[in-house]
Amino acid sequence: MPITTSKLTRRGFLKLGLVTGATLSLVGVTLGVTSWVTNQTASGFSYLRSQDIAMLKAVLPVIYAGTSNPENQPAQLAASLTMIDYNLAHLSPSMRKLTLQLFDLLTNPITQGSLTGVWGAWSAASPETIQNFLNRWQASRWTLLNQGQAAILQLARLAFYSQPSSWQICGYPGPPNLG
Amino acid sequence: MAISDVFLEGVQAGWQVHNASLFEKDQQLEVDVVIVGSGAGGATTAEILTAAGLRVLVVEEGPLRTSSDFKMQEATAYAELYQEGMARMSKDGGISIMQGRAVGGSTLINWTSSFRTPPATLEHWADKHEVSGLSEQTLKPWFERMEKRLGIEPWPIAANANNEVIKRGCQTLGYDWAVIPRNVRDCLSLGFCGMGCPANAKQSMLVTCLPATLQQGGELLYLARAERLTFKQGRVEQLECLALDARGVETTGKRIAIKAKHYILAGGAINTPAILLRSQAPDPYKLCGKRTFLHPVNFSAAQFVDEINPFYGAPQSIYSDHFQWQEGAAGAMGYKLEVPPLHPAFAATILGGKGQVNAQRMAKLPNTHMMLALMRDGFHPASASGKVELRSDGSPVLDYQMTDFTWQAMRRAYHSMAEIQFAAGAEKVFPVHNQADYMTSLAETQRVIDGLDLAIHRARLGSAHVMGGCALSDNPKQGVTNSWGVHHQLENLSVHDGSVFPTSIGANPQLSIYAIAALFSDQLLKICV
Ligand SMILES: Cc1cc2nc3c(=O)[nH]c(=O)nc-3n(C[C@H](O)[C@H](O)[C@H](O)COP(=O)(O)OP(=O)(O)OC[C@H]3O[C@@H](n4cnc5c(N)ncnc54)[C@H](O)[C@@H]3O)c2cc1C
Ligand code: SF4
Repeated sequence: MPITTSKLTRRGFLKLGLVTGATLSLVGVTLGVTSWVTNQTASGFSYLRSQDIAMLKAVLPVIYAGTSNPENQPAQLAASLTMIDYNLAHLSPSMRKLTLQLFDLLTNPITQGSLTGVWGAWSAASPETIQNFLNRWQASRWTLLNQGQAAILQLARLAFYSQPSSWQICGYPGPPNLG
Repeated sequence: MAISDVFLEGVQAGWQVHNASLFEKDQQLEVDVVIVGSGAGGATTAEILTAAGLRVLVVEEGPLRTSSDFKMQEATAYAELYQEGMARMSKDGGISIMQGRAVGGSTLINWTSSFRTPPATLEHWADKHEVSGLSEQTLKPWFERMEKRLGIEPWPIAANANNEVIKRGCQTLGYDWAVIPRNVRDCLSLGFCGMGCPANAKQSMLVTCLPATLQQGGELLYLARAERLTFKQGRVEQLECLALDARGVETTGKRIAIKAKHYILAGGAINTPAILLRSQAPDPYKLCGKRTFLHPVNFSAAQFVDEINPFYGAPQSIYSDHFQWQEGAAGAMGYKLEVPPLHPAFAATILGGKGQVNAQRMAKLPNTHMMLALMRDGFHPASASGKVELRSDGSPVLDYQMTDFTWQAMRRAYHSMAEIQFAAGAEKVFPVHNQADYMTSLAETQRVIDGLDLAIHRARLGSAHVMGGCALSDNPKQGVTNSWGVHHQLENLSVHDGSVFPTSIGANPQLSIYAIAALFSDQLLKICV
């Protein structure tokens, strides 16, 4: 797989105005280096890259826990990934860039462990570790992490509940038939 | 039942409707009046100016979607019809901001509530913002005209169960409530107004003012973004637009330059100030984009034993203004109580929680009622307010700062909503905040509300009413435009959209925009013709 340089620079984050004073030092330490990640989109996707997909395949089931019986899960997960990719395609370029930078943070070997507590492959992380990461980000004093957590959850929920396969779970009969 | 697609039929019959994403060459156009934005303000203006015989071109950055495209699916509607693919939010991510982005603007996807501007708001503008000529009396004929034009009448049919909760709770407590007037004709009560009306019942700009404009020879150019204005000797010289791809996301590289006798911005709040900021329009008092307001909303969910089915039926039909004007316009911040429609994806983003918590909340969707409180921001110096900034790619972002004064109103609103929900027979109430969950007694809910840490990313906040940023005022030190919407520094430039409001409205804003845009257009004709 071709490897390209991702400019996940500290300046990029500052421009997006996400960083409060407290997060500055953290972001400075963790992102002050140019990292090596692939920017190649995964086959069948327009924006998601293979490392994003690996991360989402671990994180989404934790967010969706309790919503479906196990045999439906693989199909629903695949449909959610397709939906997230479709939504990325319709975001404004700057919101898309912001979202992909968030995914970079979660998958970049330099930042992933220290920011999420998930060291090593996402696929090997236990649901508890992932739950802890989401809870920590939600409760954090750092706006950057609050916002990142909210963004992941929003993307995940919109993708899941806009699919007819989820409607039975929430008692939604679907739109009426207008003939 | 076959529903005719009025707009598509018009296009087939030869309306002048152009898709800029297909342009293979740069274009140079010349008209009498160019209007940026095809929403509430832009389309109302276009109809009136075209009827007066002017050659009018409406420029819209969003795509063209008509009734046969509206499949009542959240999956596609939010991505295709909303600003930034529904991902617009305040700069710190604390408030989701919903605005439309398609031919018809936000009117295509709004919830049809149609209120006249409250008299107290107009008086406040005259007293505190040096606005002249916009009184209850001068606006009356324009409200009447637009109400007739758009079929606006109090909803004559029984409210759906979601709205009924406000009525029942308020009746029990002796609080004020009333029926909402809606801009619909032959409405099927489907409840999908937020995804585009598939029945052409909603009298949005797509089925009213835009067809009238096109029928009279006006033109529409869509998937074209007004990028900047250029100036010469105190006048606008030309408008430069960029063609967008079919998604309306990336530019295609083709440019459209438009010359006109008069230029009208109606891109809506946030977007209209952004055009002026990108153009570096003269702004001696640095007012452009400041004082942008949101009617920021907090939510209270409730579960009932009986089914509510909050996804069906006219989305908004009952409101309460009991808490809106208690201390007058400029006292403690008031709020209006309404409900949102709840379809699964939208509901899931508001109800929050993950894993089992979210799953349990969502499993009860059919029994869930949701109430919201719209904060009347901008009337008091300590109110929250926003400022439009440009990102490095020139796109706008709103830096909206909450204040203690505003949070205090939100805490009161959590109390009011919980009280009304329990009075209406709710089994459980959930003030929508990360530190709260469903509770079964009013006393416990009140205790929890008093202890909530009210901060962004804790309380879930949203907005569907963006206003201000190009305020009206006779005083150039207070407003970007004069009281008729004409730019103080550029005589052939006007603003005809929600960005002209000096404060928020204190009611859902569409009818205020229709009436004021109609009045401004009438004034403009006196200058132009
Ligand atoms: C989900 C939702 C529900 C709502 N419900 C109600 C309701 O029930 N009652 C009510 O009164 N109000 C409601 N509103 C709000 C109301 O619809 C808006 O306040 C109103 O339509 C704003 O009118 P406007 O003319 O300012 O802008 P809009 O109607 O938003 O139109 C602006 C148009 O300009 C286009 N544009 C922007 N920038 C550019 C550019 N640079 N170049 C070209 N085109 C551009 C946009 O794409 C958009 O189509 C709702 C809004 C939403 C999002
Ligand atoms: S409720 Fe009425 S106006 Fe709204 S989408 Fe349904 S038919 Fe159209």
